[in-house]
Amino acid sequence: MIEARSLAKRFGEVEAVRSVSFTACDGAITGLLGPNGAGKTTTLRMIAALVAPTGGDARVDGVDCAAAPLAARERLGVLSDARGLYARLTARENIAYYGELRGMARPAIAAAIARLADLLDLGAILERRTDGFSQGERMKVAIARALVHDPPNVLLDEPTNGLDVMTTRNLRDVIRRLRGDGKCVLFSSHVMQEVSALCDTIVIMARGAVVAQGSSQELLATSGCATLEDAFVKLAGGEGA
Amino acid sequence: MRSVVGVVLAKELRDALRDRRTALMILVASIVTGPLTLVLLAQFVAGLEEKAAVLKVRMAGEEHAPQLVNFLHRNDIEIEAAPADYEARVRDGRMDAVIVIPDDFDDRMLAGDSATVEILYDDSRTEAGPAIRQAERLLRAFNRETGTLRLVARGVSPDLAEPVKVERVNTATPRQKGALVLFLIPMFAILSPLLGGMTVAIDSTAGERERGSLEPLLANPVRASRFALGKWLAAWTLASVVAALTLSGFVLAALAYAQRKLEALAAFGALELLQFFAVIVPFAAMTSALQLLICTYGRTYREAQTYSSYVFTVVSFVPMIVLFSGLKDAFWQLAVPVLGQQMVLARVMRGDAVVPADYLVPAAIAAAIAAACLVTVSHLLRQERIVFGR
Repeated sequence: MIEARSLAKRFGEVEAVRSVSFTACDGAITGLLGPNGAGKTTTLRMIAALVAPTGGDARVDGVDCAAAPLAARERLGVLSDARGLYARLTARENIAYYGELRGMARPAIAAAIARLADLLDLGAILERRTDGFSQGERMKVAIARALVHDPPNVLLDEPTNGLDVMTTRNLRDVIRRLRGDGKCVLFSSHVMQEVSALCDTIVIMARGAVVAQGSSQELLATSGCATLEDAFVKLAGGEGA
Repeated sequence: MRSVVGVVLAKELRDALRDRRTALMILVASIVTGPLTLVLLAQFVAGLEEKAAVLKVRMAGEEHAPQLVNFLHRNDIEIEAAPADYEARVRDGRMDAVIVIPDDFDDRMLAGDSATVEILYDDSRTEAGPAIRQAERLLRAFNRETGTLRLVARGVSPDLAEPVKVERVNTATPRQKGALVLFLIPMFAILSPLLGGMTVAIDSTAGERERGSLEPLLANPVRASRFALGKWLAAWTLASVVAALTLSGFVLAALAYAQRKLEALAAFGALELLQFFAVIVPFAAMTSALQLLICTYGRTYREAQTYSSYVFTVVSFVPMIVLFSGLKDAFWQLAVPVLGQQMVLARVMRGDAVVPADYLVPAAIAAAIAAACLVTVSHLLRQERIVFGR
């Protein structure tokens, strides 16, 4: 479970995030929806303990991310905004490196990679160096790398960015299977259809703050709009989408 | 379970060894450049010695100076008649020096007067130096002999004309004679770890930032200091390996050339190699940490490369300063990075006594600097402007 309570981040004069509060439950998919610059990435970075909040706190399974960053990261799998791979290492070596960093034993890593190769359809590219991979192949390896330790909580920052339709569909299936395994999945997107197709709970962010949250039915009811797109535009203040 | 530092070290080494830039650098910088330079220099120096060693002078108009010719023959000097176009040849650099005898030489000598002799040379060509000096030396010796004979003929003691007798006693050992050439080995020894550690230092810091792998890496539950340590150990390892290869190359070159050309090179053998390692391995710990630190500031590979080249330039200036300023060995120099290493290595090369403090003081200073750099790198890896800065 991931909780944000009055989370805030100020970069000098700029208030990137101000007072963001929400709860992402286990066995559910929670979507952070908002236009570019709404503060989604910064919020996810604070949960991953990569950025220190200037106000409020974030908790992963009750662990304060700022106070105990290592313990919080133990319980997280993160597909961050940057998702570079090591070009001279094979896909398997890239994934195994993260398993080793988390102290996993070699047999456990091999088993995890076998499981992820099946889930993400990595078989054909596993032993190839990642140099020259397509964007979709890179994304799959980056996701496998984030999930190698079978984390109970998963953060995905704009996971479908730059992917073609087929890969996007596969990725949605993967995310649903993570929910089926009882994981807490929190992902961000600026694409409304993406979020509505997948999420149990939608958190709409604009200009660094949460403007509305709830299931898609609840959002429709709150906004009084007929479609989710209209609701988003209205709630997000007529920007982006 | 392996330690996290070991995991990072193993990954960085594997990554670096697959990097063609690393392979090329190891080949070019360490195996080829050093020994090749030495071999060329050995050829050059040996060439100088050979030119002077052949006791031969070129003369124009030798028929006008029978006494001089007689003197030279008595001293086992071979005389070669200069060709007609000797002036042009000297100007073109095809001939080093020619002794020119004027027509009236013999007449004036017989009359007991002083006669003029010209040495024709082009002193802008340094390699002509030994031939010029040899011609001068021979003519001075002839002068002294003739003068002495004339004084004796007049019943005057020759000592009157030579109140001070100069005798040369050369105390330089074979090692010291090769000092300039051997100055190069310490310089390569100091620069090689910089070359060796550079690609890893750049790739594991600025490279991670550029390809966007730093943010996900730091999202792992691992302390930043563990990453800094692992990356530094990888850079240190490669720096030491390249230094070892470079120096071993010198030993091989020295073996091949010792007997024939440069006696001084024979002094760089297995013992000196070990002494060099004792100096260079701790030094490499410092340079690798320093490179890691400055490269962490680089946003791209290229930017970090520029920063590294500044360090390289600064370090390579130090041996030059020592060479041209004629700095004398002093204890305080041990405390100055690079200067201390340079001094100790030069002592090893000269075969001077090297005491434990000569190794320990520079090593301790290097360790302290490396530690400070690593603490700073660990700190930087927690800074948002470094992790996310574009």
